[in-house]
Amino acid sequence: MKVEGEHLFNGTQQQVWDLFRDTAVMAAALPGTKKMELVGENTYEAVMNVRVGPVAGEFSGQLVISNEEHPNSYIMTVDGRGKPGFLKGVGDVILTNQGANQTLMGYTGEVQIGGKLAAVGQRMIDTVAKSIINQAFETLDGVLAEWVSAAEEGRGATYEKASESDYAAAVARDMLSVPWVKWAIGVGIGLVIGLVILFTLT
Amino acid sequence: MTYKVIGKRVKRVEDPQLLTGGALFVGDVNLPNMLYAAFFRSDYAHARIKSIDTSQAKEIPGVVGVYTAEDMGDAWEPGPPLVSPPPTLEDVVFNSRRQVPLVKDKVKHAGEIIAVVVAESRYIAEDAVEEIYVDYEPLPAVTDLEKCLEPGHTLVHDDLDTNLAAHLVQNKGDYESAKKEADLILKRKFNLDRGAAVAMENRGLVVDWDQKNQHLMVWDTTQSPIPIRNGMAARLGLRTHQVRVVAPFVGGGFGPKIMMFYAEEMVLPWLTMKLNRPVKWIEDRKENFYATTQERQQIHEMEMALSKEGRILGIKQKIIHDTGAFDPYGLTTPLNTQSHSMGPYDVKNYNSELFVVFTNKTIVTPVRGAGRPQGIYVVERMLDIACKELELDSREVRRLNFIPPDAFPYNHEIIDQAFTALIFDSGNYQPAYDKALEKLDYEKFIQEEQPRLRAEGKHVGIGVVPFIETTGVGPYEGARVAIEPSGKISAATGVGTQGQSHMTSFSQIIAEELCVEVEDVSMVTGDTAEIHWGTGTFASRGAVVAGNAVLAAASDVRQKVLKLASKILETPEDELELDGGLVRVADIPDKSISLGELAVLANPFRGAVEPGTEPGLESTKYFGPAYGATAFGVHGMILEVDPETMMIKIHKYVTVEDCGTMLNPMVVEGQIHGGVSMGIGNAYYEKLHFDENAQLLNASLADYLIPTSAEMPHIEVYHENTPAPNNKLGTKGVGEAGAIPVPAAFAQALENALPEYDLEITETPLSPNRLFELLHKREE
Repeated sequence: MKVEGEHLFNGTQQQVWDLFRDTAVMAAALPGTKKMELVGENTYEAVMNVRVGPVAGEFSGQLVISNEEHPNSYIMTVDGRGKPGFLKGVGDVILTNQGANQTLMGYTGEVQIGGKLAAVGQRMIDTVAKSIINQAFETLDGVLAEWVSAAEEGRGATYEKASESDYAAAVARDMLSVPWVKWAIGVGIGLVIGLVILFTLT
Repeated sequence: MTYKVIGKRVKRVEDPQLLTGGALFVGDVNLPNMLYAAFFRSDYAHARIKSIDTSQAKEIPGVVGVYTAEDMGDAWEPGPPLVSPPPTLEDVVFNSRRQVPLVKDKVKHAGEIIAVVVAESRYIAEDAVEEIYVDYEPLPAVTDLEKCLEPGHTLVHDDLDTNLAAHLVQNKGDYESAKKEADLILKRKFNLDRGAAVAMENRGLVVDWDQKNQHLMVWDTTQSPIPIRNGMAARLGLRTHQVRVVAPFVGGGFGPKIMMFYAEEMVLPWLTMKLNRPVKWIEDRKENFYATTQERQQIHEMEMALSKEGRILGIKQKIIHDTGAFDPYGLTTPLNTQSHSMGPYDVKNYNSELFVVFTNKTIVTPVRGAGRPQGIYVVERMLDIACKELELDSREVRRLNFIPPDAFPYNHEIIDQAFTALIFDSGNYQPAYDKALEKLDYEKFIQEEQPRLRAEGKHVGIGVVPFIETTGVGPYEGARVAIEPSGKISAATGVGTQGQSHMTSFSQIIAEELCVEVEDVSMVTGDTAEIHWGTGTFASRGAVVAGNAVLAAASDVRQKVLKLASKILETPEDELELDGGLVRVADIPDKSISLGELAVLANPFRGAVEPGTEPGLESTKYFGPAYGATAFGVHGMILEVDPETMMIKIHKYVTVEDCGTMLNPMVVEGQIHGGVSMGIGNAYYEKLHFDENAQLLNASLADYLIPTSAEMPHIEVYHENTPAPNNKLGTKGVGEAGAIPVPAAFAQALENALPEYDLEITETPLSPNRLFELLHKREE
């Protein structure tokens, strides 16, 4: 599966770089993250709860940052597995200065998935992946705004971790844009109405 | 009064039990003290196991044990090699690699079993499976049938220096010389992909070791209880009489429930003997998508040499067959493809080279059709394309090439999957083909209907495909028929029943032979306690091989009845007649004796049974044909396709079947209906999508689409009867027939419906999506 996209951050390239290299921030940004710690140079270990449609469970794995070119680009390798299957991915992250305190973050990558995640979650995985990424960006935008204003005001920054229910809500919202889900919900509602009518009549 | 019941539409005797919920399936077997198994299966298709940690799973309350390959010790050994290559073929390469009970070092396909949990309930067992941790070293997966043969490619089996499982060439005549005479030499490449059998009932086993009796009782959804009994006894170091295998009612077999020796069939008997408690496992749908065998992926490169009139001068083809990670079932499926790639045609020159390759995918064994649909698909596609190139009428080209009725028995001079020469015993193809055309109103459709519908903007096409099916092959089946003191008949055969109406059809044979009512016969199938010898239900052979064994045993009992009655009634045998459970003197209706009384007299308490005779009115007989009985059929369809959504609607579906003597036309028609629905799935809905890591992407019935009642057309079934000359009943098999020609008929009809795209379909299964892609490719 190919993953690619970009996001415009309101901060300097250095700030955005720091943002992505801050373990605590990343742990907060990725919904479902239970643990993320630096275990070696540029190597993190993470535990994350993932739900893709009917497939849910805990993933644990390693995240390695390599080919680091401060503050422009790096390569991120993820290798995780858990009860719902496994995933393995390699991605390029590129930061470009857009002037006026704006930084464009672009990413492209290739992700392999397997097990239940692939077999049963296949048709939802795209949407869920996008949800996770979008929500991560929302959180990161918030943290960055807090950093920027804290720096301006000369105080320490604080931020809040996104909860799993925020994430669930985000997935539900994104799912609604998938045509078959709309159809399924439509059929579901139709059935309920039908049953209500049936019971009222009898 | 005569008891002519063979060929009658007798209602199924098994239905009352099935329809009132009274039939026993393996899932219904619940024993006191029973444990439940659940399996830890690999998510990876190809990976080395670095370590297995079962410690947390073992701590869960209710878990009795968690076992890996290491725990099996000497009991760990791969499954038996079931079918070796035909010994009469020369220069055959065959690398036998068999599935294992529990993976030891390297996983070779997703779904292979690494550990088994046994617990007090399935819930606990499943929870414990989640607590097993396996550390893998993932390896690149072997999925590409062509690339996997290139040097240096990743290997499925490290101890082989190749992914080649088998190689052989079959030759008839001289293709290269024939080619020189040709007006058209057509070359095409075909891609045929995988599907699942999707039986309604998944696999399941209940095993119960009784230590005091030193006896193992097994309920198994197998199609072949006797070979499973024999194999289990051998694996466990028991005598065959210490093992009884019962295949009770089974909800669909379709091939994959053959005597595979699935990993579960190796692990569970070992567990019940180890734990001294019954153990149950019922496969769930997701397991079924990974662990139950599948079929049909092949790449064909075919060359056909034709005269300008459309006569086939010769065929040459190269087949690459995907056998999955192991090849326990030998070459059965691709040999069937080789046998069917000449269709019902008189092909004098044929050269067929076969490559079988290992991939990191689920094991391949026959699925209803078993290589035949692929053969029929390629030969029919080639003829359709040739007709376009030569601007010939497809009906004329078929007529020109059919093996003529006076050419039977027709020897194809190659070796069949049964290891015998590919001889078509009998056939009369043109009348069946003409009947299909007539029932479709082909001429009128082409001349009037199609132009009218086209003018209305509708894309409606017609497809008619003839096919042969080699059926009823050996080695043998047996049957035991006995008259009880009550006068009722008990009978048994070794083949298992998965919905084929064996109880009804076989009872009809016995009822006719012994002149009793069908209801007076009680037929047992699939219980090793009832008969000792047999092979199983496969290759459309039940009615032919078991059916004729049933007839032989019933005839022998009839002889015994007449002999004994002749003595007691003091009347020559030829003056006696059987009627409604009585034997009587033809001219003196009052002078008679019942079958029950005769059965009692045949088993005396005092005196002596005469030397050279046997007690009882019972007989066990076997039937083994020298070669099979070749059935014939034609499927025709008129379908409409919406070129925007690519959804299809089948307006008319006609089949003409020639399976020789029908034991029960209703049963034959049921088989055709089921086969056609499977064929429609194979043609337009069902495809297993594997990614480049050999991960299955649609392992649920939400994503793997099988035709439902909404997709099924009304099927008109018509019959022709060319009796099989080599068995007394004259029967030919029909169990797989319905599924065989459907993808080929679909392709022809789709091309015919969409002439503006000048479409050439060389792949199956299609889908609305795939057809959309093909049409847009043509537009570009």
